[in-house]
Amino acid sequence: MDKCIACGLCAEKCPKKVSDRYNADLIKRKAIYVEYDQAVPLKYGIDPTNCIKLTKDKCGNCAKVCPTGAIEYDQKEKDVKLSVGSVVLATGFKPFDPKVFDTYQYSKFPNVVTALEFERILSASGPTKGHLVTRSDDHVEPKKIAWFQCIGSRDMNKCDNGHCSSVCCMYATKEAIMAKEHNGDELDCAIFYMDMRTPGKEFEAYYENAKKKGIRYVKSRIHTINPVPGSDSLEVRYVTETGQIDTEIFDMIVLSIGLEASSDSIALAKKLDIDLTRSNFAKTTSFDPVSTSRPGIYVCGAFQGPKDIPESIVDASAAAAAAGESIASARNTLTKKAEEIVETNVRGERPRIGVFVCSCGTNIAGTVDVAKVAEYAKTLPYVEFVTNNLFSCSQDTQDKISEIIKEKSLNRVVVAACTPKTHEGLFQETLLAAGLNKYLFELANIRNQNSWVHKNEPEVATEKAKDIVRMAIAKVALFQPLEEAELQVNQTAMVLGGGISGMSTALSLSKQGYKTHVVERSDFLGGQAVKLFQTAKGESIQAKLAELVSEVNSDSNITVHLNTNLTDVQGFVGNFESTLTTGGSAQTLKHGVAIMATGAYPYQPVEYSYGKDPRIVTSQELDKKFIENDPAIKDLKSAVFIQCVGSRNSERPYCSRLCCTHSIDNAIELKKRNPDMNIYVLYRDIRSYGEREYLFREARELGVIFIRHSLDSLPQLSIDGGKIMIKTMDHVLHRPLEIEADLVSLATAILPYRDETVAQFFKLPMNDNGFFVERHAKLGPSEFATDGVFLCGMAHYPKPIDEAVSQAKAAASRAITLLARETIHTSGQVASVNTALCSSCGVCVSVCPYSAPSFIEEGRDAGKAKINPVLCKGCGLCVGSCRSGAINHRGFDTDQIFAQLFTLNEAV
Amino acid sequence: MADFEPKIVSFLCNWCSYGAADLAGVGRAQYPANVRVVRIPCTGRMSAKFFLAALREGADAVWVSG
Repeated sequence: MDKCIACGLCAEKCPKKVSDRYNADLIKRKAIYVEYDQAVPLKYGIDPTNCIKLTKDKCGNCAKVCPTGAIEYDQKEKDVKLSVGSVVLATGFKPFDPKVFDTYQYSKFPNVVTALEFERILSASGPTKGHLVTRSDDHVEPKKIAWFQCIGSRDMNKCDNGHCSSVCCMYATKEAIMAKEHNGDELDCAIFYMDMRTPGKEFEAYYENAKKKGIRYVKSRIHTINPVPGSDSLEVRYVTETGQIDTEIFDMIVLSIGLEASSDSIALAKKLDIDLTRSNFAKTTSFDPVSTSRPGIYVCGAFQGPKDIPESIVDASAAAAAAGESIASARNTLTKKAEEIVETNVRGERPRIGVFVCSCGTNIAGTVDVAKVAEYAKTLPYVEFVTNNLFSCSQDTQDKISEIIKEKSLNRVVVAACTPKTHEGLFQETLLAAGLNKYLFELANIRNQNSWVHKNEPEVATEKAKDIVRMAIAKVALFQPLEEAELQVNQTAMVLGGGISGMSTALSLSKQGYKTHVVERSDFLGGQAVKLFQTAKGESIQAKLAELVSEVNSDSNITVHLNTNLTDVQGFVGNFESTLTTGGSAQTLKHGVAIMATGAYPYQPVEYSYGKDPRIVTSQELDKKFIENDPAIKDLKSAVFIQCVGSRNSERPYCSRLCCTHSIDNAIELKKRNPDMNIYVLYRDIRSYGEREYLFREARELGVIFIRHSLDSLPQLSIDGGKIMIKTMDHVLHRPLEIEADLVSLATAILPYRDETVAQFFKLPMNDNGFFVERHAKLGPSEFATDGVFLCGMAHYPKPIDEAVSQAKAAASRAITLLARETIHTSGQVASVNTALCSSCGVCVSVCPYSAPSFIEEGRDAGKAKINPVLCKGCGLCVGSCRSGAINHRGFDTDQIFAQLFTLNEAV
Repeated sequence: MADFEPKIVSFLCNWCSYGAADLAGVGRAQYPANVRVVRIPCTGRMSAKFFLAALREGADAVWVSG
């Protein structure tokens, strides 16, 4: 594997074609292949079940053509023994195989495809290069596409998958939007669904936007697909909401297949002796959401339950924290220190540039005349040395380059080879080994962006390679050695908020050895959880909460500040100084990181006569009755739950995520306490995602009646002669219905605190609804763009306890990536201000997303801008925006980019 | 104009479009060679001066992607 340079010659010459699993088996690949273009590491592998050499001992083409001798047919599976303290299972899910359904005729009709196949069809790197066409032989553009939801999900009847797969409503919506983007607005997209489940952050807005774009949502489960004679189109028969049977013809049908545990994961779980859930996902508890039933074994991602990318990323960080907590004492015991080589001072020297032109086997040399390029490079200014390497990245060539740098006293280096995205770091190490500042280097990309993409035009590609090399040389000549700012990280953490999230993150930090201060504005720990009865898994919240509070209070690493507000914050990542004010007295806390766990609170309704009758309560108030074991519950004859009170409306256009499950759970609890009670849940969409779906099923089996309404026909509540009467429309019979209720439980929205002061202190953005905006919706859910500040719990978005604990651990995990390093070196490629030119206009201060620029406060340059190199991410936004030309961008400076452009002239 | 081949200078963001151009290579997508790439750390780094310089140096078109 070390020798493979991913040139692809082997696959080109391999005669064996195999169905390409990555492309959902829609096209063929070779028996020697890379799984997909972005694979890391980018190395070819042999599929042993299909390779002719390995199965029949014939062929052997790949070994013959491989330029580096990387093919070894006798490689065998090896058993490796590792001694570890923690194990994390991240084995993922298996997409449901719809072949078992005869209803949908997936195997029989070419234009019935799975959502995964559809993803590949939409993808630019897919079988049709992103061109959306049908699977018929004529490959025409479809005019009408239908999505069928819940294929292999929420279905005990045909496939035993009782759970909701959580992600399909969103991905179907996304695919429909993308399909319209590809093929134009006239493309008709219809999504046939049971409940539209978009309970994630910003998901409801996405769903509403899709409706505005003309995507049709049809609430119906399809029972028949018929072929249309003489075409590959399909006729769909379904029952509309009004009970009519309707037929429609579609050119393509996309099956929104669900997520299930793979048989491999189930077998692994048996081997490891960990418990599984009803749907065969790894069993965890709400307060330890990433710990399996066996101590030391953790789980994250879709093997813990069906979930989307942001949740999987949260889980992944959480599992890393949990795995780290139990082996914290071993931290750094296996690390080795790299040898330090003294840097030669080349400042002020005339540039002496070395140019190394790589052949990359035949990858470059097969198209580009590398000898010509090398000869040409010799004629360019400041070039002292030029050579051609067969493989510049091989260890012996690296050593050779390093020797040449020293021998020829080179002070700038250009390697003309592959891409800086993958190889810049490697060659920078080579410079470091030669005692040269690593920023005196430029990679000229003559492979990925030249020889590979102009294979049939060798002469043109050679000319282009010359241009690329010339531009790189002109740029590198202007490079200066750069220094990396060093940052000491204060080893203390501050957690804002003492609810379940705040306490969980503090405990995780403490277990990994870090002093943590929990700042809570109220006079107690526990936040909203003090009012909650039980989790969706049936755990007593009060019992667990008491344990958590006592653990926090007795932890010697944790200091709790009750009745305390944050009144000022100075400093930046690694070195914050916060002022904590308790009563009238203020104290200063120095800390390296801050975690926002400020939570959210329930909406106090004005709807449904709330406050006018003690029988009309919120979900939390019903919980209180359960906690207090209110004996009156047993005597109630009927109870009505009303969903989305204050949620999913124009004022609060988001879903509060946890209320469906909460109401279902409470309905079940009422039924358990009084099986004769008539219970109704008035809802818009039931969003019991994941295995919460089993609770929904259980409630229906217990006789709880679910009645649907829409935003424009909300239930009407009146109190008449001491009776609470609720009018709504029965969605099955289409007749008005009147229910007398002894108890009304309102599932109210979850509101963010919208704390502008705290947001200002740390420069944290909030969305329109008032929830904090994380660094990246998918890839950075538990941290902010502001370095050193992290996020968890309901301040991010409404979420149930298991997800809050998971994100709390995730935030701790992300914080520890900073804390554990103690000293951080940031990039040298940052912006800096020339104060002599600065006009104090403040544009840089206002445009920077990372708060790196600020005004100098005192001295000769007071009022002018300065840039903190520790916070600067080197994006260059301030450099491009500076109207005085006062900001330099090290490594991408204006004169350096100009140098590239001024040497274009021969090129263009 | 039928034979007109524009000379294009492209400014590609390191984090997305530049990587995409690399991936086009990994996937062996073939495209005309009349484009020269200048890698920039972010399209935020782009400046009107760079457009003008490229045009002055003979580019027919400038493409900024990020």
